[in-house]
Amino acid sequence: MKEFLLNIDRRIIFIFVALGVIIPALTSFNLPINPTPNVQSIYDTIEEVGKENGTVLISFDYGPGSMPEVQPMALSVLRHCFKRNVKVVGMCLWPQGVGLAQQAFDTTSKELDAEYGSDYVFLGFKTGFQSVVVSMGHDFHGTFPQDLPGNNTTELPVTKNIKGLADFDYVLCLAAGNTPDGIWIPFGQERYKFKFGLGCTAVMAPDQFPYLQSGQMNGMMGGLAGAAEYETLVQASGTATEGMRPQSVVHLIIIFFIILGNVMYFLYGRPKGGTQ
Amino acid sequence: MSRDHIIFIVFLFIFATINIYLFGSGNLSADWTGFGTFIAAGITLSLYSFLYKDNPLFKFAENLYVGVAAAYTLNQIWYTVLLADVVNPLSELEENLSNLWLIVPTLLGLFMLTQLSSAKFSWLSRIAFAFVVGLGAGLAIPRTIAANVLAQLEPTMQPIAATWVGLDLFIILVGVVTVLVYFFYSVEHTGPVGVASKIGIWFLMISFGASFGYTIMARLSLLIGRVGFLLEDWLVLPLPLF
Repeated sequence: MKEFLLNIDRRIIFIFVALGVIIPALTSFNLPINPTPNVQSIYDTIEEVGKENGTVLISFDYGPGSMPEVQPMALSVLRHCFKRNVKVVGMCLWPQGVGLAQQAFDTTSKELDAEYGSDYVFLGFKTGFQSVVVSMGHDFHGTFPQDLPGNNTTELPVTKNIKGLADFDYVLCLAAGNTPDGIWIPFGQERYKFKFGLGCTAVMAPDQFPYLQSGQMNGMMGGLAGAAEYETLVQASGTATEGMRPQSVVHLIIIFFIILGNVMYFLYGRPKGGTQ
Repeated sequence: MSRDHIIFIVFLFIFATINIYLFGSGNLSADWTGFGTFIAAGITLSLYSFLYKDNPLFKFAENLYVGVAAAYTLNQIWYTVLLADVVNPLSELEENLSNLWLIVPTLLGLFMLTQLSSAKFSWLSRIAFAFVVGLGAGLAIPRTIAANVLAQLEPTMQPIAATWVGLDLFIILVGVVTVLVYFFYSVEHTGPVGVASKIGIWFLMISFGASFGYTIMARLSLLIGRVGFLLEDWLVLPLPLF
């Protein structure tokens, strides 16, 4: 037994994790979700933008690999914007984001009767990363002369008065890579001084906190928990809220295995032949 | 026949049986949407089969993903960049002569491709690379210093007061200084420098722990997403069951 506990086969842990995800997914117990100040800040900013009938730029910089975490954020933020009559301009610095962004716009615009051109515009993907952001900063129409369907951005009601990034009331980056701290903050926010918020994968979140503390971004949704908090704020429970049940159960399982591993290590030392 | 072969055949048999039932009962529609769900479920299970051990199904799904992602990216770049920003404007030169300047970046882009050719032409790629390196460095150096160094120094140097905010600032200041001391190798880490260095290690360890915790959360979120897809979209279970 001692040898078994000192050298648990990783596949046993996988089975526990799988059961920890599947069983809570089949049940309906609820856990309290309390929005944190960082998520609340994004919500409050969009509320303020709504009062001024303003425009938000959302950059969909993620792909299918991070869809379970970031797509619920996109859906919740779009629902919030359309409910408050905030105009939305969507774009992608990642080519893989185009299909997911289109899906999010289609779903939410149908739900809330948002009209293309007057309520939202989708610009699609543009290659160049920092060059795109720098160029958008001073010449929005030059960088995106046309939207994804091919309409002139100088003629669409949402985009015709946008000259540069500073004309947006809020810029929100939904990211799974280095676009917030590598592109949007150094080449966009720092130069053109617009209000900036972030929704990102949990892996990225720890590296983004310094930008919150410095005020370069005013809010952050981190991972599935951040998405669930935003769903709570907009009172539209979705896949993120549902996902918090298995998430919490598996966290407890992992904490149990970490404690067990440490207790066994301190009681009996390193197992013979190393660990699996 | 080895145990792995038997597991492989049993897995394929169960997967086929479930899909025959789903299509037969109408839970999966006999159209492209249903077929897409069936393929997605198969690929998801194939990828997770790696948790047991490396196998041909995993290899197939992995290589398929790489191929599809590359083709999708190429498609997006062709339609939204090359066609929209290069081919179409250059084909309309007779109507709009101001687009003539696009020949310069287009040529630079083509020069990049000469890297793939013989030595006779590959030197042309150096012109394009020199342009990219020069532009990249010119753009990145001042902006990165401004955003990631100067803007980060400011909140680290705020006056410390006897409040909770002041305590936060004090912890940040201690963390920054001690971690910098830890990475300062010109002085031997003994005495006060050694103490500061050890405190720096603790800050680093806490930071690694936070990153690891968030990484677990991220990976679990992906697993939860796929399990949700398998239960709701593929098996069409009316969740929650109880």
